[in-house]
Amino acid sequence: MTAPTARRVEPSVEVPISVTVNGEAVEAVVPARQLLADFLREELRLTGTHVGCEQGICGACTINLDGEPVRSCIMLAAQVDGSAITTVEGLSSEGLSPLQQAFKDNHGLQCGFCTPGFLMTLSTVDPEEYPGEEGIREAISGNLCRCTGYGGILQAVRTAWNRPQDG
Amino acid sequence: MTDTWELGGRPVYTGAHVTRRQDDALLSGRGTYVADLRPSGMAEMAVVRSPVAHGRITAVRTAEAAAVDGVIEVITAADLTDVAPYPNFAAYTQTPGTFPLAQDKVRYAGSPVAVVLAENRYIAEDAAELVEVDYTELPAVTSLEAALEPDSPRLFEDWSNNRLLDLQPDDSEVAAILAGNRVLRRRYKMGRHTAMPMETRAALAEVHNGRLHLWCTNQHAHIARTTLSYVLPLAERDIRVVIPYVGGGFGLKQHLYPEDVLVSWLALRHGRPVRFVEDRAEHMIAAAHARDHMIDIEAAIADDGRILAMRVQVVQDLGSAEIFPGAWCPALTTAAHMTGPYDIRDCVVSVAAVTTNKTPGGSYRGFGVPEAVFALERFIDEIADEVGVDRLDLRRSMLLQPADLPYTTASGALLDSGSFAESFERVVELGEHAYQRADAQYRSDPDSRVGVGYAVLFEGVSPTHHGASAHWMGHESCTIEVQPDGGVRVASGVTDQGQGTTTFVATLTADALGVPIETVRVELADSDATPYGLGAFGSRQAVIGGGAILLAAAEVQGKVKKIAAHMLEAPTDDLVIEAGRVHVAGSPVRAVTMADIATTAVIRTIDLPPGMEPGLEATARYEPELMEHTPDEKGRINANAAYANAAHAAVIRVDLGTGEIEILDYILAHDCGTVINPPIVDGQIWGGIAQGLGGTLYEDLCFNDLGQPQTAFMDYLVPSAIEIPDLVIEHFESPSPNTPLGMKGVGEGGTVGPAAAIGNALAQALAEFSPQIHETPLSPAVVRAMIPDQRT
Ligand code: FES
Ligand code: FES
Repeated sequence: MTAPTARRVEPSVEVPISVTVNGEAVEAVVPARQLLADFLREELRLTGTHVGCEQGICGACTINLDGEPVRSCIMLAAQVDGSAITTVEGLSSEGLSPLQQAFKDNHGLQCGFCTPGFLMTLSTVDPEEYPGEEGIREAISGNLCRCTGYGGILQAVRTAWNRPQDG
Repeated sequence: MTDTWELGGRPVYTGAHVTRRQDDALLSGRGTYVADLRPSGMAEMAVVRSPVAHGRITAVRTAEAAAVDGVIEVITAADLTDVAPYPNFAAYTQTPGTFPLAQDKVRYAGSPVAVVLAENRYIAEDAAELVEVDYTELPAVTSLEAALEPDSPRLFEDWSNNRLLDLQPDDSEVAAILAGNRVLRRRYKMGRHTAMPMETRAALAEVHNGRLHLWCTNQHAHIARTTLSYVLPLAERDIRVVIPYVGGGFGLKQHLYPEDVLVSWLALRHGRPVRFVEDRAEHMIAAAHARDHMIDIEAAIADDGRILAMRVQVVQDLGSAEIFPGAWCPALTTAAHMTGPYDIRDCVVSVAAVTTNKTPGGSYRGFGVPEAVFALERFIDEIADEVGVDRLDLRRSMLLQPADLPYTTASGALLDSGSFAESFERVVELGEHAYQRADAQYRSDPDSRVGVGYAVLFEGVSPTHHGASAHWMGHESCTIEVQPDGGVRVASGVTDQGQGTTTFVATLTADALGVPIETVRVELADSDATPYGLGAFGSRQAVIGGGAILLAAAEVQGKVKKIAAHMLEAPTDDLVIEAGRVHVAGSPVRAVTMADIATTAVIRTIDLPPGMEPGLEATARYEPELMEHTPDEKGRINANAAYANAAHAAVIRVDLGTGEIEILDYILAHDCGTVINPPIVDGQIWGGIAQGLGGTLYEDLCFNDLGQPQTAFMDYLVPSAIEIPDLVIEHFESPSPNTPLGMKGVGEGGTVGPAAAIGNALAQALAEFSPQIHETPLSPAVVRAMIPDQRT
């Protein structure tokens, strides 16, 4: 298993970025091809952002990027230069936020792997744009959960959005 | 073993809405899963997988990959000279001789062939693409029908066929009944799907003081440790397996996969931490698939439709079978459930499990029971049609009534309790009502048809492991230690994949000891910290883990009372334990605290009753007495400690234009005996039904004729919140007289019924077209094909 010359496959291009993450300024030099999810998890060690598919399908990696819910597995770290990011770790500085508390009170999680993605989606969207019971389902339809069957999650959102089931 | 199981204290937490222990951490992103671990000096592994489904490896060239900057090593099977194949303890099966990397042959697309170890995953994946493997392709076997053909290509050349398992019991008695009666025959199939936990598989190995530490997503710390010791050149004492937070297991993570062995081997070899995190594309082809059964039923039918006797053949497609523990047990479980909760005395089932050039099948919630329920419940509806009787009355004429219990099924299952008929009637009442509503709403819509379908079932829970491994049996273990400050440490062999096991253990321990739940610390899933147990499978942890907790707690409590009696100078019978204090009945101020007692037991031992040994801890093991591990000479076995039951009703609307099934109402009556934590039970039911509905309507793992997997994650269609209806859940509670506190398992019941209920609802909705509903999934394309074209 020896070869005459070492060959470098990893693209050498690196990109400097400055980004605000959970309120703190971060300056970093990232490989051009590094995924945002990997930057958050492996470099900043914010491992609450989970990676369930790396294909933009499951929603586990959702973060708040300048106020929008975004899938950090299909973005490059280099693309967020100048942006502000909130991850699940930044949702509440003390204790649980009302949304997090609603998840806890209503059994809105089991394994918790999908949970940060749901929380980030819900904390970023405007409930007014998702009226009624169907609106709740639509708001979370881009996030997959394999444990709960969504029953507890729906109940948590109803509670957090103050929306009775038949309303 | 105790005759009567009881809690040592008042049930303060048992049966109450105790909030889950890990939620604060999980909700704030502080739950640590395997992929979140990153010890310094860590290297990462990428697997080179076969693109060929069946072929001989003629050459592997790794030099170019090994030369990439940042690559530490590239290994193939030839490097694993000190690794043994996974063992096979089942004498009644043929042995695939599974090795962590393919040796001379590959038997499925996705099979691991080589591994690149590199400074990070990006580099490892780059280099993996530079590994060149030459294959001589062989004809692929891609269906169970093909695998059964006598001249089928063989996956394992030293076998005489593709049948890993082939059990043909004597069927002469049933044949005689069939010969003298009207016989109805049907074939049913359940498609291939998989658990698809949101967290993929992951493993991280490190060497500490000469010992291997493996953090992994496996469902059993001790079985994993023992298996590693069989495969790697390591003593079991030199291995520690820890399972941190896990993002769902559902059976898929029961298997000790090649990657778990490979990270361990590489960490030992290089003396640095090695991590593997499976990506979703790999998961689709390399993590266990499931179901993929074919069931042929022949039944002798009475004039009124009752089943007099059944002869059944179950065939399971195992894929390449290169998995440990082996995956044939779902077929045996299907066989054990073929009579359902009906009084059918004569039933004989032959079972074959065959190898094909597809991803190895394995465990998945339901584990053979959804297949049996789908086949039998569809069959009963088809009998009713054929004979011209009401399908509900036909069920009523065969369903087990309270007076029939205890009842031993034809397969040997001991149904000691249950609410088969009652839960069915309740679901029928609600289902018919919902159907009337749906019918009124859609009767005038020419493009819609509505239907209601029912399924009634029992489900073995808390099984022996022997059916899957022929090696481990069925016990669980627990250590309870009261520390000098009165706090409690409870360590058990059970594990938590998110279902709430930790909360359950704390709940039962607190009530069994009579202490506040906040004073209980739970330790699970660390082979160094917990006594040997079997972990999570078969909805067993509450029943069997619970039994071990109660036994250990009773022993500790006995000592607590003796010490307290000595301290309070009162007879033990007069003592009451409550909220961490022991007081004399009727005199709450004459009390000592758990801290006083434990300090006496552990530190101030001079104050102990004369002759008493120091210490306040106990380890107990519970193995259910009635659980059998091997069948009798007639093939009968009571393989489970308990049997839960349920009845399902689905009310659906079919769009005649698109073939799409919309679930209007889903009703479930469920009986898992005594309930410890109602929200956790409801969560298990919801999640189980969602998985059952997904497998029935959307999820399908397809392969083409070359054995090439055709389903990407994008196409797999895990149900979202849009697809899962609101559920109506009705609780029945028939405690088992034979299990701790009367508990039964709840993990799988929801998954078991949807295929049958939806299939029967569809048959009713489309009755005018006489649809043939014998297979799942019932995707829109499949349903659309049942509707004549001139309709559109
Ligand atoms: S990990 Fe980003 S969408 Fe699944
Ligand atoms: S809680 Fe496990 S995937 Fe949602």
